[in-house]
Amino acid sequence: MDLQAKNMIVTLSNTEIVKDISIKVKDKQFVGLIGPNGCGKSTLLKSIYKVIKPRQGSIYLGDLDVVKSEPKSVSRVMGVVGQFNDLSFDFTVQEMVLMGRTPYKKFMEGDSEEDYKIVRDALEQVSLSGYENRSYLTLSGGEKQRVILARALAQQPSFLVMDEPTNHLDIKYQLQILSIVKGMHVGTLAALHDLELAAEYCDYLYVMKQGKVVSHGTPEEVLTTQLIGEVYDVECEIYTNPITGELGIAYLQVPFHQ
Amino acid sequence: MKTQSSITAENRKKESIQHKAFVPLVMALMVFIVFSVGCSVSIGQVPISLKETFQILLYKSSGMKFGSLEGLSQASFADIIWHIRLPRALMSMLVGIGLSLCGAVMQASVQNPLADPYILGISSGGALGATFAILLGFGIPGALGQLGVAAWAFAGAFGAAILVMVIAGMGGKITSVKLVLTGMVINALCNAFSNFIVYFANNAEGIKTVTFWTMGSIASATWEKLPLTAISIGIAVVFFLTQFRVLNTMLLGSEAAVTLGISLNRYLRIYMLVSALVTGIIVSSCGTIGFVGLIIPHIVRGVVGTDHKRLIPASALFGAVFLIWADVFARTLIHQSELPIGIITSIIGAPMFLYMLMKKGYGFGGK
Repeated sequence: MDLQAKNMIVTLSNTEIVKDISIKVKDKQFVGLIGPNGCGKSTLLKSIYKVIKPRQGSIYLGDLDVVKSEPKSVSRVMGVVGQFNDLSFDFTVQEMVLMGRTPYKKFMEGDSEEDYKIVRDALEQVSLSGYENRSYLTLSGGEKQRVILARALAQQPSFLVMDEPTNHLDIKYQLQILSIVKGMHVGTLAALHDLELAAEYCDYLYVMKQGKVVSHGTPEEVLTTQLIGEVYDVECEIYTNPITGELGIAYLQVPFHQ
Repeated sequence: MKTQSSITAENRKKESIQHKAFVPLVMALMVFIVFSVGCSVSIGQVPISLKETFQILLYKSSGMKFGSLEGLSQASFADIIWHIRLPRALMSMLVGIGLSLCGAVMQASVQNPLADPYILGISSGGALGATFAILLGFGIPGALGQLGVAAWAFAGAFGAAILVMVIAGMGGKITSVKLVLTGMVINALCNAFSNFIVYFANNAEGIKTVTFWTMGSIASATWEKLPLTAISIGIAVVFFLTQFRVLNTMLLGSEAAVTLGISLNRYLRIYMLVSALVTGIIVSSCGTIGFVGLIIPHIVRGVVGTDHKRLIPASALFGAVFLIWADVFARTLIHQSELPIGIITSIIGAPMFLYMLMKKGYGFGGK
């Protein structure tokens, strides 16, 4: 299922955060959204997953008009791994993941054996089998994030939106989370801050700065010394990692500001 | 350090309590409520044996078809039980159900473990209404006077809740922080007005009545008052029993809830309105009974977990048990005198709460 967002303008308390952005995610494509802090990545994603209503613009997921549809119908096709997942009350891991089935539930409908199977499969996919009855709040950051991912998987989405899913995670879990998502072969739009990881996992990148898309293309096309200098204000060299063969970035220094 | 196997074993134990033992737990609580009501009507200043109590209850509740009142040590026992103690025990049960239910719902609605049914300014709004009626001479003598106080208390309680919701909802979405803070402000404001009235009132008897009123009492329970309370609380219980999924997603925060297909703001308003109505009705007839709506959901969560499918029914039932016994203590703790039930619920509730705070297993939402 492909996502098409056109001419998006999003304002937060009268400040224009996202300024006329159009992006496209083709079916089964892993698209990364990169850019410095405060460039509007999260705001753009939030308007895509219906937390903020865009002031202007259209979002289509396949034939589904995301802006006009009820959250329930959107949540049946779109899974979201957001940034803040702290709770003020504890749940067990199983209960957390089971909530991913909410979009499919009618009034008063209970959880079926099939739901539990989906939950088991989702937990297995994020290698958290056996964690069903652990309490969510006692988990480590990486485990919590994988539970949230499992919840999104339990929604059986055909599209995933992720807002810095690897934030605060050890490298192992960063790689693990991105590999799981990549292995799902569903369209994915993810805001990422690690450029090397973005280069490794994304099929296509959009680069944002100050609410605008300044460049887009494959990682090799986009991630150049010049662009990183312009967007992030950091000097770097781009090279091919001799061991992995992937794109590597060597950051040199933060330029001196007069 | 715990070994993996001991953790799993512990988990299994926890799960078995939370899932498999849940239906027996609910049934046990129901049976215990019936038993508690029975004890409650037999215990009092005039002790009446359980056997006689059962005889009277059977005779009266069967519409005088079964059994008889013959053989009672005193004929007045029947009246004491049927007209004084039974409505009171039933009212305690209903109030316990209502406050615990609304407490659990409010804690979910504002995602805050400190929330209770009074968080929307209901207690001080109700107190202001009652103070107004008692001290400013809206007192109509006799039974109508009591009704006047209740009506004013309800108006105050419900009015305060609506005011909080409207103010918190200004400028778009209701957020839990705005709700809690607005509730605090309205609470302070209503208290200030009540105190103002009390300060200038030249009416020692009235001030005493107001003080007693704010401590809560079920003494005024009569058969006439029960149906309204029973129906409103009954409807609220049935309604919230159907809402477990939404209540669960509420705890994830409004953002996560939307991504799971539930727009919280719509539900939040309905839940608060229902809670405010139920709590307002309780406050109007029984004053403010503290701590119940706060601690019961926490205690129950420690046993059955956070899932509202289990939390809502278990809280309601456990709240009923708690308040029936609190009322028994209120009536009997001091010989020949009656304590306001609000004192009892706090005296029992505060140590229970402290115990839970010190015990490590339950984090009150913290870590």
